[in-house]
Amino acid sequence: MSDIQQIVYVVEDDEAVRDSLELLLKSDGKAVATYEGAAAFLADYSEDMAGCIVLDIRMPGMDGMELQKKLNELHALLPIIFVTGHGDVPMAVDAMKEGAVDFIQKPYREEALLEKIEAALTQDREQRQTLGEQQEILRRVKTLTPRESEIMARMIAGQANKVIAIELEISQRTVEIHRSRVMHKMGTHSLAHLVRMVLSVKDRIDVG
Amino acid sequence: MSEQVSASTGATVLLVDDNPQNLKVLYETLKDKGYRLLIANDGAKALTLARRDKPEVILLDIMMPELDGYQVCQRLKAHPATADCAVVFLSALDDVDAKVKGFSLGGADYISKPFQAQEVIARVGTHARVIRLERELQQRNRQLENDQSRILNAISEGIYGLDASGDIIFANPAAEQIAGSSAEALVGRNFFKLHFGYDCQCPEVLQNGDVPVKATCDLGVPEHRRGIEMLRADGSRFRAEYRSSPKLEREALLGAVVVFRDISDELERERELESARELVSQQREQLAHASRLTVVGEMAAGFAHEVNQPLTAITNYARVANRIMSGEHADEVLLQETLAKIEAQSHRASEVIRRIRQFVKKPVTGKEVVSIATLLEDTRQFAEVDVRNNEGGIEIEVEEPVPEVSADPVQVQQVALNLIRNALEATRAAGSSQPVMVSARLTGQGCVRVEVTDHGIGLPEDAEDQLFLPFFTTKPDGMGIGLPMCRSLIQAQGGDIGFERPAQGGARFFFTLPLAVNSARAVSGAS
Repeated sequence: MSDIQQIVYVVEDDEAVRDSLELLLKSDGKAVATYEGAAAFLADYSEDMAGCIVLDIRMPGMDGMELQKKLNELHALLPIIFVTGHGDVPMAVDAMKEGAVDFIQKPYREEALLEKIEAALTQDREQRQTLGEQQEILRRVKTLTPRESEIMARMIAGQANKVIAIELEISQRTVEIHRSRVMHKMGTHSLAHLVRMVLSVKDRIDVG
Repeated sequence: MSEQVSASTGATVLLVDDNPQNLKVLYETLKDKGYRLLIANDGAKALTLARRDKPEVILLDIMMPELDGYQVCQRLKAHPATADCAVVFLSALDDVDAKVKGFSLGGADYISKPFQAQEVIARVGTHARVIRLERELQQRNRQLENDQSRILNAISEGIYGLDASGDIIFANPAAEQIAGSSAEALVGRNFFKLHFGYDCQCPEVLQNGDVPVKATCDLGVPEHRRGIEMLRADGSRFRAEYRSSPKLEREALLGAVVVFRDISDELERERELESARELVSQQREQLAHASRLTVVGEMAAGFAHEVNQPLTAITNYARVANRIMSGEHADEVLLQETLAKIEAQSHRASEVIRRIRQFVKKPVTGKEVVSIATLLEDTRQFAEVDVRNNEGGIEIEVEEPVPEVSADPVQVQQVALNLIRNALEATRAAGSSQPVMVSARLTGQGCVRVEVTDHGIGLPEDAEDQLFLPFFTTKPDGMGIGLPMCRSLIQAQGGDIGFERPAQGGARFFFTLPLAVNSARAVSGAS
C-alpha cells in the first residue's frame, strides 16, 4: 500500500510559474504533474491519485475554489495547498473552511512551500494508509457468509454465545464454530480488536 | 408798405416798382396764375421781403429813388439767402448798355416798358420754373451730401481715401479718432509713412513688398489683413484689421480706399478666450489623469498579481539555478536555460510596470498618429488584469484595413479601457461566459469606429437621457464619472461616442476617431 508513488499535482494557469515550480519540485526530488487549468486536472482526475495538489486560487475559467468544490463532491482525498496572490486572504480562509490543508501567498519562499508540500504529502500518506486498512477490513467483511455476518454483529453488540444460540435457535456449539470462523476471516484473536476494526468502517457497511 | 399775398402755393414772385400804377398792372397781369405775389414800392422793402420769403422771381424796376434796381440786384446777389433768385429787370430804358449792366450784375432777364402782358407771364413762368428746379436740385444735393457724410461720420471703422502715391485725401471721423489726429492734419500726409513709418522715397525699403495697402495703391490688388501693427500720429502702436480696395476710373488706378479699425481690445478678448479654453482643456487633462489614477487604483490587486507571477517564477528559477550549481556535475545547458527564463520573466514584470507607467503618466497632450489595432491589443492586455474572473475574456476583431487615426493614445486607451472594463463587469454580473467583443473598422464617413459589445443585462430604458451625465450610474458602487469623462475625451479628439442595444441583448458602446491626415488622403485616393 505505502509504496504507491506520491505526485505533486501543480494546477496553475501561468506558464512561467507552472514551469518554474515544476523544475523546482523536480530538483527537490518530487514527482510532478502539471495542469494549465482546473478543467484539465478534473478531466485527468482519478481516485487512485496519490500526493497533493498545489492549486492557484485565481485562474480564468474555473478557478481554484470551484475545483475544490468539484473534488469535494467526488470525495477526493488529495490534500490541497492553495497558492494565493496579494489580497486573496479572505478567499483562502473560505478555502480552508472547505477543507484545504493550507495556503501560501505568492511570491513565496521555497522552504515554506516545500514544508507545506511535505506536510500535505504526509497527510495524504496517512489518509491513504487508513483508507487502505479500512479497505482491507471491508474486503474481509465481504468474505463473511450472511450467517457469519449476523453472528459478528451480535458479537460486537456484546451478546454471549448462549444468548445468540437461543435467539437464533441454533446450538451453542454451532455459534462457537461461526464465531471462530469470523475471528479467523477478520484476522484477529481479540474481540476488542474486532470491534475497533468494524467500527472504523461502520459508515460503509451495514452491520446488523 | 403794401404787401399782398395770393392764395397760390406755387412759386413766389416779388414785384418791385415805385410807381403804384405799374405795380397794379403787374399785379393784375400775374394774379390767378398760381403764383404767390409780393409787392414792394421801394428797394429797401424789396430786400426785406426777398430775404424773408426767398421768391423764385423778382420783377425789379431799375429807376427808383434811393436804392435803384441795380443796387437792389447787387445786394440780392451778395446775400446767400437771395443769391439764387431770378432777377428780371423792368425799365423804360431800352438801351443796350442798361441791359448789359443788368446782366453783369447778375440779372437773369430784361423786360422793357411798356410791357406786354403775355411776355411778362411767359418770362416769369420760365424763370420761376428754372429757379424751382435749381432749388430742388440743390436741396437734393445737400441731402445727398448730408447722407453721405452722416454715413461716413457714423461708421465706426476708419476710412481713408488715398491717391496713387498713398497720400491721404480723405479721412472720416473714425479715422481721426483711431489715428489720433484731426482730418485736416491727416489729409496730405502719406499713409505709409504715417502709419507704418515707411518712406516711399527710401529705395532699400522699397524692396519690401509686405507694406500694407502698397499692393492696392501700386497694382490695384485688394487686401484684407488682420493683426497688423499700425502707428498712431503720436507714434504709439496698435493692432489693426484693414481692407483696402483699389479706386479705379475706367482703366486708370487712382489710389485706394482703406477701411480699418483698431482691434487691440478684440485681440485681447480673443487671447482671454483662448486662455480660458486652454484652462478648460488643462482641467480636462488633469481630470482625465486623476481618473486614470483611480482606474489603476481599482486594478491594483490585478496588477500586483501580474507582477507577482513573474516574480514567483523568478524566485523558483533562481532556486533551481542554485541547486544546479550546488550539484557535483553542474548541468551547464540547463543552467543557461534557467537563467534565460529568469531574464524573460524580469522583462515580463517590467513590461507590466511600463504599461502602468504609460497609462498614468501626465498628459503629454498632443495628437499622434496611432494604430488602432496596436492600441486595442495593448488595452486588452491591460484590461486582462481584470479578466481573470471572466471566463470568456476579451476578443479583438479588426476589420482590415483600418487606417491610422490622429489622437492622443493615452486618452483613447483610457476610453477603450473604461468601456472594456464596463463590458467585463456587465458580462460577469449577468453570469455570462461569452467574451467581450472589441471591434474596429473604417466607416464611410472617413473615421475609425471602435465598438465594445458585452453580453450583460443591457441598459435601462432611460439610459439615453442620462448615461453620459455626470454622477449618473447604474452600478451599485459606480461614481458616474467614467462615461462623461469618456465623452469629453473623445469629443476633444474630434470624435463621437454613443451606444446601441444589439438585437441579441447586452449593450454596445462605440466611439469614432478622425483619420490621420496621411490615412485620410490614402483612403480618399483609393475610393
